[in-house]
Amino acid sequence: MTADIEIRNVSKHFGAMTVLDDLSLSIKAREFIVFLGPSGCGKSTLLRMIAGLETVDTGEIAINNERIDHLPPGKRGIAMVFQSYALYPHMSVRDNMAFGLENIGMPRDVIEARIKESARILEMEHLLERKPGQLSGGQRQRVAIGRAIVKEPKAFLFDEPLSNLDAALRTRTRIELAQLHQRLQSTMIFVTHDQVEAMTLADRIVVMNNRKIEQIGSPMEIYDRPATKFVAGFVGAPAMNFVEATLDRSSRNARARFADGISVQTEIASDQTIDGKYTFGIRSEDVRIVPAGQGNADGVIDVLERLGERTLVYARLGDGQQIVGSDVGNSRVAVGDKVGLAFDGRKSHLFGETGRAWHAREV
Amino acid sequence: MRAPAISIKGRAFGDRVLLALVILLSLVMIAPVLWVIGLSLKENAELMANPNSVFQAPYTLKNYINTIGTSSVFVWVFNSIIVSGGLTLGTLILSSLAGYGFARLNFPGRNILFVIVLFGLAVPEQAVLVARHQIFSMLNFHNTYHGLILPGLSASFGVFLMTQYFKAIPKELDEAAMLDNASRFRTFWKVLLPLTVPAQATLGIFTFLGAWNDYLWPLISATKKDMYTLTVGMASTQTNFAQSEGIGFLMAQAVFAGAPILIVYLFFQKYIVTAVSGAAVR
Repeated sequence: MTADIEIRNVSKHFGAMTVLDDLSLSIKAREFIVFLGPSGCGKSTLLRMIAGLETVDTGEIAINNERIDHLPPGKRGIAMVFQSYALYPHMSVRDNMAFGLENIGMPRDVIEARIKESARILEMEHLLERKPGQLSGGQRQRVAIGRAIVKEPKAFLFDEPLSNLDAALRTRTRIELAQLHQRLQSTMIFVTHDQVEAMTLADRIVVMNNRKIEQIGSPMEIYDRPATKFVAGFVGAPAMNFVEATLDRSSRNARARFADGISVQTEIASDQTIDGKYTFGIRSEDVRIVPAGQGNADGVIDVLERLGERTLVYARLGDGQQIVGSDVGNSRVAVGDKVGLAFDGRKSHLFGETGRAWHAREV
Repeated sequence: MRAPAISIKGRAFGDRVLLALVILLSLVMIAPVLWVIGLSLKENAELMANPNSVFQAPYTLKNYINTIGTSSVFVWVFNSIIVSGGLTLGTLILSSLAGYGFARLNFPGRNILFVIVLFGLAVPEQAVLVARHQIFSMLNFHNTYHGLILPGLSASFGVFLMTQYFKAIPKELDEAAMLDNASRFRTFWKVLLPLTVPAQATLGIFTFLGAWNDYLWPLISATKKDMYTLTVGMASTQTNFAQSEGIGFLMAQAVFAGAPILIVYLFFQKYIVTAVSGAAVR
C-alpha cells in the first residue's frame, strides 16, 4: 500500500510565533522525500502535522486525495519512527510490534504472520522476546522500523531516526533504509539536518529554512543548481565558497569582479541578470590548485585536509578572504605555500541580494 | 603505588567501623521485638514474680492459645487489613488518575488545582479533625469501613508523586500509542501505568504502613469494639492491671498484630529500600 500526499497552503503557529508559513508540497506515491534544514526550520513540525501529532492551523493535508488533517493519528494509515524510537520499555519486541495491530482488533494469527514477516525482513527474529532495555541502539532502531512495517502503512514517517547512532552504524542503517524503500516501494518521508543522509536517501529533497520551503528537487539538482544562497551554503561539505562581487555584463556571459581586482568569467547569461550587488559562489571541487600565477587568483595555504581521494586546500587571498579548493589525494602542497586558484567558470553561481540564484546555462 | 594501598586499608577499617555501628543499631532496633517475643512465651504468673525470667526456660505457647481462643485481635487485624488495603488500593487508583491528569491533560485551572493539591501537604490532620468528625457524624459514616478509609484517600503526596512520575515519562510514548490507534485510556492503562510501578510501590508501601499504624482517626471514628483497628484495639487492652497481670498475653497479641506488617516487609523489601532511599523517583 502506498500513497500520494498533498500538502496545501499549510500554516502553523505556536502562540505568536509562526512555525510554518503557507507551505505547499506534493509527494508522489513510492517517493522517498527528505525534509532537510537547520534546527528550528519547521521540518519536524511539518512531519508531525502529517502524522497528526500537531494540528493544522490553516490549509489542508490529503492522502490519496482524501483529507486527513481532521483525523486522529491512528486513523491516517501512516506509521512513524521517532528519533528516540519511543519503544514501549515494558513490552517485548513482539508486543511492541503487536500493540498497534491489537488496537484495531486484528486476529492473532494475522498479527503473528505480520510480525514474523517484518522480523524476517529486518533480520531480527532472534530479538522478538527481548525487551528494549536489552537491545543495542541499532537493534532498537530496527525494532522501531519493524513496528512501523507491521502496520503496512500508506506512508512511513521518519523523524531524524539515525541521529542517535554512531557514525558507522548510521552509514549501515542508511543503506538498509534505502534497501527497505526499494523492497517495500512505500512512500517515505524522512526528516534530517544531515545533508549526507538527505543526498544519499532522497528521490527528492525539500530544503526548508525559516518557516518556508527554499527548494524542492533531486539531490543533484539541489547540489548543482541551488535555488538560493541558503541552499547553496547549506548543502555540500565543505560549504560553497562565497565572494562579494560586481558584475561586468557587457559581454554575452557575465564576468564577476571581486574587490581586489580578481575576476572570473562565468557562463551565466548577462541578459538574465539584473542590476545590483552579487555574491559569487563556487564549490571547492570547482576550484583547482595550480602553480602560483597560473589561476584566477593567488593565495597562501592556511589549512590542508587530506581526505584520501582528494585534498581540501584552504587558501587565503590577498584581501583576507578564505577560499577552499580541491587538489589530488597525494597533493604535494603544504601549509604556507603560495598557490594559484583556478575557478571553473562553467560551474560558478551568482546570488542576488535577495538570495536568488543564477547558474550557468544547462548543457 | 603506596598511597592507594594505604587508602584501601583506611577504607577497609572505615567499613569495619561502619559495620560494627550498623550491627549495634540493628541490635537496638531488634531488642524490643525479641523482648516482646520472649515475654509472649512466658507464663503471666511467672513474669509477675520475676520479670527477668524471660531469659530462663520454661517457655510456653499458652498465651498464643489463649489469644486465639479469647482475644479480638484477629477481628482487629482483619479490620486493619480491610482499612489499610482499601486505603492503599484507593490511593493508588486515585493518585494515578490524578497524576496522569495533571501531567498529561490540558484543562482549565490545572495549575491552580495542582497548587491546591500541594497545599494539602501543609494542612495537618488535627486541623480538620473536628469538622471531619461532624460531617461523618451527619453522614452516619462512623463505625464503618468507608468511614475509616475515606479521609485517607485525599492523598496530596500521592497525587504529587504520581504527577512528577508521569511527567518524567517521555511524551513520545503517548504519541507512539496514538499512532498505534490506542485510545487515551488504553494508552494510560497499557503503556504509561506499567511504567509507574516503582512509584506505585513506593506510594503503596508508605500508604499501607501509614494506615496500619494510624491511631488518631480510628480512635475517633471507630467507637464499637468490632470496628476497632489493630492500633485502637491493642490500646483498649491496656487496662489498669494488664501490664502486671497479663503481660505475656498482651505480648502474644502484639506478635499476632505485627505479623502482617512483617509479611509486607518481607515481600516488598526491595521496594521499601528504594522508597526510603528516594531512588524510585527519577
